[in-house]
Amino acid sequence: MSAESHPAPARPGAAALSPLRDFLQRLRRETYRAGPHVPLPASPTHLLREVAPAENLVSRFQTSAAMVGCRVHRVRRDEWLATVRGILRERSARTVLVEPHAETALTAERAAQLSEALEAEGVATSAQCVDESLFAADASVTGVISALAETGTLVCVSSAASARGASLIPPVHIALVSSSQLVADLFDFFERLGAWAELPANVNLITGPSKTADIEGVLVTGVHGPGEVHIVLTAD
Amino acid sequence: MNPTSGLRARLAEAHRDQRVVDAVHLATWRKVEARADAMAGLRHYAALRDRAAQIRQHTLDHLPQYLEQFVERATALGATVHFAANADAACATVCDIAVSRGLKLAVKSKSMTTEEVHLNDALLAAGVRVVETDLGEFIVQIDRDRPSHIITPIIHKDRRQVARAMARELGCPYTEDPAEMTRIARQHLRDIFRRCDLGITGANFAVAETGTLCLVTNEGNGRMTVTRPRVHVALVGIEKIIPRLIDLPVILKLLARSSTGQPLGAYTTLITGPRREGDVDGPEELHIVLLDNGRSRILSGPFREVLRCVRCGACLNACPVYRNVGGHAYNSVYPGPIGSVLSPLLYGRPAEELPRASSLCGLCYQVCPVKIDIPRLLVQLRTATRARQPRGKRLLMRAWAWAMDRPWLYRLAQRLMRRLLPDDGTGWINRDNHLFRRPLRAWTAQRDLLRPPPQSFRELWKGGLGDER
Amino acid sequence: MEVALFATCLTDTFYPRVGQAVVRLLRHFGCRVCFPDGQTCCGQPAYNSGFHAEAAALLHRMTRVFAPYACVVTPSASCAAMVKHHGPPLLADNPPAHEAALRLADKTWEFNTFLRDQLNVDVAGLLRFEEPVTFHYPCHARELYSPADLQGWLRGNGHDVRTPVHADLCCGFGGVFAVEFPEVSGAMLDDKLTELAATGATLVICNEAACALQMMGGARRRGLPLRFKHLAECLAESLGLLEPAA
Repeated sequence: MSAESHPAPARPGAAALSPLRDFLQRLRRETYRAGPHVPLPASPTHLLREVAPAENLVSRFQTSAAMVGCRVHRVRRDEWLATVRGILRERSARTVLVEPHAETALTAERAAQLSEALEAEGVATSAQCVDESLFAADASVTGVISALAETGTLVCVSSAASARGASLIPPVHIALVSSSQLVADLFDFFERLGAWAELPANVNLITGPSKTADIEGVLVTGVHGPGEVHIVLTAD
Repeated sequence: MNPTSGLRARLAEAHRDQRVVDAVHLATWRKVEARADAMAGLRHYAALRDRAAQIRQHTLDHLPQYLEQFVERATALGATVHFAANADAACATVCDIAVSRGLKLAVKSKSMTTEEVHLNDALLAAGVRVVETDLGEFIVQIDRDRPSHIITPIIHKDRRQVARAMARELGCPYTEDPAEMTRIARQHLRDIFRRCDLGITGANFAVAETGTLCLVTNEGNGRMTVTRPRVHVALVGIEKIIPRLIDLPVILKLLARSSTGQPLGAYTTLITGPRREGDVDGPEELHIVLLDNGRSRILSGPFREVLRCVRCGACLNACPVYRNVGGHAYNSVYPGPIGSVLSPLLYGRPAEELPRASSLCGLCYQVCPVKIDIPRLLVQLRTATRARQPRGKRLLMRAWAWAMDRPWLYRLAQRLMRRLLPDDGTGWINRDNHLFRRPLRAWTAQRDLLRPPPQSFRELWKGGLGDER
Repeated sequence: MEVALFATCLTDTFYPRVGQAVVRLLRHFGCRVCFPDGQTCCGQPAYNSGFHAEAAALLHRMTRVFAPYACVVTPSASCAAMVKHHGPPLLADNPPAHEAALRLADKTWEFNTFLRDQLNVDVAGLLRFEEPVTFHYPCHARELYSPADLQGWLRGNGHDVRTPVHADLCCGFGGVFAVEFPEVSGAMLDDKLTELAATGATLVICNEAACALQMMGGARRRGLPLRFKHLAECLAESLGLLEPAA
């Protein structure tokens, strides 16, 4: 209806839209004269939560994350560095991507601390996410912006400080999570996300390692993404 | 010619392939059990399912408004939105994007819409190499096979067939170990991911409110595909829209549980526009191609409900017919119960007999996370082809209904049947009986037929039962 | 309470003993049973095959046959489901007939749920089995009772009730489907019989004449020692209302 009287404003991509506008008009005209009109359910979904915010989120998260195949290391606040180093040492990592992000538990300060410690052991570290470092890295260490107790999910977003590839391309992903970042339920997370002024271009909900069961239903991890996801969970 | 006889032969032929039938049995039973366990652990399963159905139906009932909102938002974020009325238009649009930018190597994440429009063939013809990156689709592609399940494309193959295809096509050492085969595919595809310049995906959902695409994957190839290439093209059916961001978790809570029994897919990726200024990585261009290809026609007809489908595959896994014939027998990109509804609506005549190949057991409806009443839709579709059923069958059905409308005739038929059906002396009619062979053969090929006992119930009733006590 | 028995054409023709059991049980629990002689078929085969005009005509005549009665009981879940759920919309464009179909839908009961909900009979407490039993859950009972309900009815008195691995698996009958796609129907039958046989029980409770025709014939062809009985037969035998079957 409106497209005829108000021509679409010229902006990138608008040229491609005229067949779509015609289509929408036709769709309105031909399809929706009668027919059912089911109402949209009201938005609050707290009655359908799996996990109540009052539950013990740390233990729930620990259980859920383990269930989906993550290895959870629940440690004291001052043990995170030793834990991360231990994981990397055990895997004989030679090259490690350390990606700090101010809004996560892996602050610039902590990242510097980790990089220094690793370099001292002869492990090459990098904070840049250019091609070669990503594909050459034996592991990546990142923070997350949120973690979900219900499903053991880690949430990573794209930004100027964090690459989409960091939690994806190296075969081992170590995520630093602090207990204050835990959200009870998927509904709670999406409610918060909806309140963001602007969504990042890429938001990833990571639930366990990369996996497939395509061949005879046999579960294999580490197809294209990391085969191991370690969560270093600290209380605060 | 009997239209169902072609389908009957195809299904019978498919069932004779013991290896496929065994593989499909194994895989579907495993998924049925995983799904049941996952749902049993979901506190508000029934309420979530009601709500998911309601959200999907509401969206379809108001689709133009939400499509417009989606286009508005996505465009404002810097995505280019295209519209493709049919398969050819979709292929032309994607090829044009690739050719005009000089893109040469495309990686694809698993997508049913691209299968539906046969995008790979079009891109190859336009000089663009396309590599499927989902492990199952990758094996399908190198083995020049067809997917047979919407979630598990190689459900019909056993590990030896996969091993042979990989050794032959990739020149790698022969191994039957799924983990080792997966590692080989990873190595092979990593090299492709480094060099690719075009990423092609579908979308599980498109959120009108925010202009966001949602992709759910397990292997990480979907994330690779929207991370590495400089151009991302998403081919999205117009019915994939959902209204608000907060509606997404309702469906996400059911989707992976229905598919594989997981609480969520390993990766749920929300894509809101192309790479932002300053972002470290991600595609510079995002093209969203909205695909009609028959969907608007379905929307305006009595089968709108089928477009609620979220492609979880639960109905395929639950279906005892699918389990015994596999996906190829359906001769459609969309096999199984949902395919038997969708295919005739999308492809018309060539698929119109599919709705008859169901015992209407109803498990497909039972497991559908958006409550599509598949058995009812199948029956509804059967009415559409009634005029094209074989003459003999139509006559028989009419004669039967005519007789059933006349109790005396029904009683006579009952008596005649008892008199004329030749049994083997023990009250059974078996396959060695030649009298009445033709009409009974379809039954006696698989099972013996009980001979009606000497007295029917109504004769018992008249003969004393009615007056007892 | 007066009850009109809707025997169904398959029970009438192939399983008169089931009808006999139902009549005696209803009387035993205090009902007066009528059998309107004009009844034939509810139209289900035509409905499932897409011949809806024929199905509508047959359903319409059923509404007339049962019009004088306040309560209709049938031993078949699928015929009950046809009358209660699928049938009435077929007559939507004929308001008086539609009204009548809705009334019939409302007053029609599947036998087992009638015993439970209307007569408050404790089936589990009354049944006696001398041997292990397993059961077939008819697909079309879905809107009427669940596999767990059926299990519950069988489970009393310490009975050895053996649940097949997938209690809600279809037997492959599906009406005209069984003869239009005999190979697939036969394959589904194989799957079903394999699960039933694997329970080790040889007595199978099957409350659906159509499924029984398919499975009895299939078991006989395959040489499987399975016997099939309607719950009504077992209950009537337990109460001494019916001679035990040979």
